[in-house]
Amino acid sequence: MKNFILGEFSDSEQMVTALRTLREAGETGLDAYSPYPLHGTSEAIGLPKSRVTKFALGGGLLGACTGYAMQWWMNAVDYPINVGGRPLHSAPSWVPITFELAVLFAAFAIFFGSIGLFGLPRTYHPVFEDDAFRRASINTFWISVELRDDPKRAERLLARLSELGASHVSSVADAASLPEEP
Amino acid sequence: MAAGTASARQRIDELQAPLVNPGETDETLSLSMLQFQLKPAPRGWWLMLMLGLSGVGLLGIAVSVTLYQGIGAWGNNISVGWAFGITNFVWWIGIGHAGTLISAILLVFQQKWRNSINRFAEAMTLFAVMCAGVFPVLHVGRPWLAYWLFPYPSTMVIWPNFKSPLMWDVFAVSTYFTVSLLFWFLGLLPDLATIRDVSKSRTRRILYGIASLGWRGSARHWHDYKMAYMLLGGLATPLVLSVHTIVSFDFAVAVLPGWHATIFPPYFVAGAVFSGFAMVMTLIIPARRFMGLKHVITERHLENINKVILATGMMVAYGYLMEHFIAWYSGDQFEAFVFQDRRAGMFRYVYFLQMFCNVLVPQIFWFKKARNTIVIMWIASVLIQVGMWTERFMIVVQSLHKDFLPSSWSGYSPTWVDWSLLLGTMGFFTTAFLLFLKFVPAVALSEVKELSHELQHGGHPGAGR
Repeated sequence: MKNFILGEFSDSEQMVTALRTLREAGETGLDAYSPYPLHGTSEAIGLPKSRVTKFALGGGLLGACTGYAMQWWMNAVDYPINVGGRPLHSAPSWVPITFELAVLFAAFAIFFGSIGLFGLPRTYHPVFEDDAFRRASINTFWISVELRDDPKRAERLLARLSELGASHVSSVADAASLPEEP
Repeated sequence: MAAGTASARQRIDELQAPLVNPGETDETLSLSMLQFQLKPAPRGWWLMLMLGLSGVGLLGIAVSVTLYQGIGAWGNNISVGWAFGITNFVWWIGIGHAGTLISAILLVFQQKWRNSINRFAEAMTLFAVMCAGVFPVLHVGRPWLAYWLFPYPSTMVIWPNFKSPLMWDVFAVSTYFTVSLLFWFLGLLPDLATIRDVSKSRTRRILYGIASLGWRGSARHWHDYKMAYMLLGGLATPLVLSVHTIVSFDFAVAVLPGWHATIFPPYFVAGAVFSGFAMVMTLIIPARRFMGLKHVITERHLENINKVILATGMMVAYGYLMEHFIAWYSGDQFEAFVFQDRRAGMFRYVYFLQMFCNVLVPQIFWFKKARNTIVIMWIASVLIQVGMWTERFMIVVQSLHKDFLPSSWSGYSPTWVDWSLLLGTMGFFTTAFLLFLKFVPAVALSEVKELSHELQHGGHPGAGR
């Protein structure tokens, strides 16, 4: 059974400090939630550098190559169009579309890449089992610890989070992993 | 000495004028910024919506007449082949550009004051580009074949001509719309989650839940989100410059006197930003008042917008000056004739209206009193949009109506269908904007809360600027 231990903090700095303390104590499966990006949370959890930049570069290069190759093949090879005697392969007039497609592909890569990294869209997540979690997008700061079938660790974490200043703690279970009611 | 100290003090006060009123907590901010979306719509909103919808009706009629009768229903003739259609297209696209400028360029330069107004401005961009798109599509004459513009493997075994600026335009405008939409939606995700969580009714929770894609504000989300948002902003910055540059190429690449000028790209971009900021002003003044947003869209925002209007207005004025200078300096008699005709020909009243609205009106923003008086800035913003429309009209129609050969000269007068299309798109814009204000968090909540957090905690260098 998959569980999440949740702790709510009203102060952002207290939450970040608690997060860092937990990680230094060797806890795993940590995550934090805030209504806006907070400085220090990524470092406290130890997230690696975002991969979005690579998606952007890849998308941009692919777009530029696609754009140029498309114009060259269509206008100079497959259906040559003579415009006022200009060369069939006329690079300057292909700059705008090459640029536009580079931007378009990069934007698609950034958007869909990051949505993929978020693991969205999803219709359910166990943290929403605690109704108070609604405040996480409004004005409070949360820590979650993911664990599996470990009631002892759960109790320890609940106590620890309160100790670290959480104003509300709870344990939620993934509804999908609960045994079905008869 | 004393005067110097006083002005220095005033300068400090000015820098410290609040971007978010002090004493606001995250909760009060969230609720106050969402109150308009959560409460039943006031009567004024319905009245405006009715007005907007009647414009949409007019648009429907005008489009139907155009489809039934063809482009002959417009005032276009054989010299003036691009009249209201292209004027309106360029005007709307230009209005859209301020949205991207505010949300992308000011983001990249870390101008914090953008945070309360970027969402409005981005929505304005999307709707303005939709309005703009109507015109070229109708203008192709057979809009049901407009897909021929895209390179797809057809049974006719031909491809579009990529040496044509009109093809560049197709790619620029469709890329611009797509990227603006993605940028807007990405910025919206956390706020859709907030409105989902603030909502009391189950229907709203489900609908906003779906729209927010299940966003939960996890540190892992924010980690990639910040990077993605910054990168999209970084991409949108050169994109917005390229779009109006390419729009200006529609003209500048042609040989027509009045169009064939190297100053066109920067001059068009400046004009676009100028008219777009004016549109932001026109919309934001009533919106902040009727939606109770004066605490997040403060006098300081309005003053900054006015400063941008003044600066871009000066750039536009420089563009006019340069056009006339080059017409004389080039020694090209056709070029000189076109500009003489602007001042003295059949469209001279339009030309003087353009000069009044675009060159004289923004000068009042040299005065701090004008930059801080709501009525003055609202009227000025409307006049500037009129001015920018007349500018595009002069460029398109006046340059076309008298080209090289006097035997091909003609006049021009618009028909009721032309006017109805223009008014109709305004109605569509109003309707779309009102629906946006009602159903979507109209201020970037998470960004304003982040700003308020930074201001209260002293935060980073540049906080509160």
